Amino acid sequence: MVHLAVTGLSHRFGRQQVLRGLDLTMAAGECVVLFGDNGSGKSTLLTLLSTRFAMQKGRYLLNGLDSADSGAEIRERLVFVSHNSHLYGHLTPVENLLFFADLRRLQCSDELLRETVSAVGLGKFADRPTRWFSAGMKKRLTLARVLLAKPALLLLDEPYSALDSQGVEWLNSMLNDFLAGGGMIVMASHDPQRVAALKHRPKFLQKGSLFDSKESANC
Amino acid sequence: MLKAAYRIAWKDVVGDLRRSSSLSSMLFFAVAVLVVFQAAFEPDRQSAVKLLPGLLWATVLFTSLMGLGRVFQAEEENGAFEGLLLASVPRGAVFLGKWLGNLLLTLLVQAMILPLTMILFNVDAWHVIHLIFGVLVLGILGLTGLGVLLAAMTQAARSRETLLALLLLPLVAPLLIAGVQATAGVMVVDGHPGPWIKLLLIFDTVYLALAPWGFSWLVEE
Repeated sequence: MVHLAVTGLSHRFGRQQVLRGLDLTMAAGECVVLFGDNGSGKSTLLTLLSTRFAMQKGRYLLNGLDSADSGAEIRERLVFVSHNSHLYGHLTPVENLLFFADLRRLQCSDELLRETVSAVGLGKFADRPTRWFSAGMKKRLTLARVLLAKPALLLLDEPYSALDSQGVEWLNSMLNDFLAGGGMIVMASHDPQRVAALKHRPKFLQKGSLFDSKESANC
Repeated sequence: MLKAAYRIAWKDVVGDLRRSSSLSSMLFFAVAVLVVFQAAFEPDRQSAVKLLPGLLWATVLFTSLMGLGRVFQAEEENGAFEGLLLASVPRGAVFLGKWLGNLLLTLLVQAMILPLTMILFNVDAWHVIHLIFGVLVLGILGLTGLGVLLAAMTQAARSRETLLALLLLPLVAPLLIAGVQATAGVMVVDGHPGPWIKLLLIFDTVYLALAPWGFSWLVEE
């Protein structure tokens, strides 16, 4: 059953056409990895799927909700882990997660928040301001939101950056669990090796169009 | 919506108290202004009563500008503003939270500055201090409401603090005049602050009705 459907998605920034009539369908438990050169439109596609900006052309449905009139409802069902961690440096990991949970209208006890912080390997730092965290620690805490929100769709923009080999292993295991639970992932990556541990469908973005193979993208 | 707004305001107030950023600089600036004015004019008790309303509102304006200039500072870190907009809460809740946080800090500063001003200028108006503070609250409601909207509008600009002042000052001038007149009205026995307080209420209603709508439009565009 199709849970995500994008049809005829086009987007331009000023005169520059970034995406040209993209189509994408996904079923529950599926992972699509977007490959492509810098500036090929991977991040733009993820941002549009997050409904942060209104689509200029095309249609996007997530679990039957249309982005044209249900943007907030779609945002409630997804987590977007972008290049920015969206963390507040003066807040501790527990406070950052509490802030996130309140904005998502999630009911979370202090115990659950602490368990989640421990689950991403930051239990020892649960009460320290995140300002002093390394990029890898911030990435782990950002991903903790996925455990808390249990979204239908997870959007990941270069999720392996800043993670060490242990972190990559942990992330792939977390993502495999997420997929096994019926979640969907759309990920942008430059790193086919690290993604290899995930069962995924590769897609290649070239000049704003989406292709099933690298060869067809280069034609 | 209210819970999300409360959490955003809580995050801003906690952040400010932990970093002592806006609060301490607003307080320091306000005290410096008062001391300079006191030293420059050395007013007697009667002229101090005439001077006080204008002085109080000048302090409110400049300290508010300082606070408003930093209202989105925490959001600049790690792209957190983007994170706020990715939340499923209405944009109005984001505005409400940012406004409440700024309002609380500004009121906190004025609650400390008002008695200090009366001591420094030896003004015997302690019996109406609650009324003076009430007038300040009325003015600050609208001032910060419009200010947070303009701060959101100018946050990406290079010289945003200058731009914020340039946009805010002409728009709040009528509110400031009403505030000064209402404060003067409650300080003297035969004053008539009523019409000025009504005017303040009108400004508050207009600014606070338009600002969330303007904010939502701004962040969508």
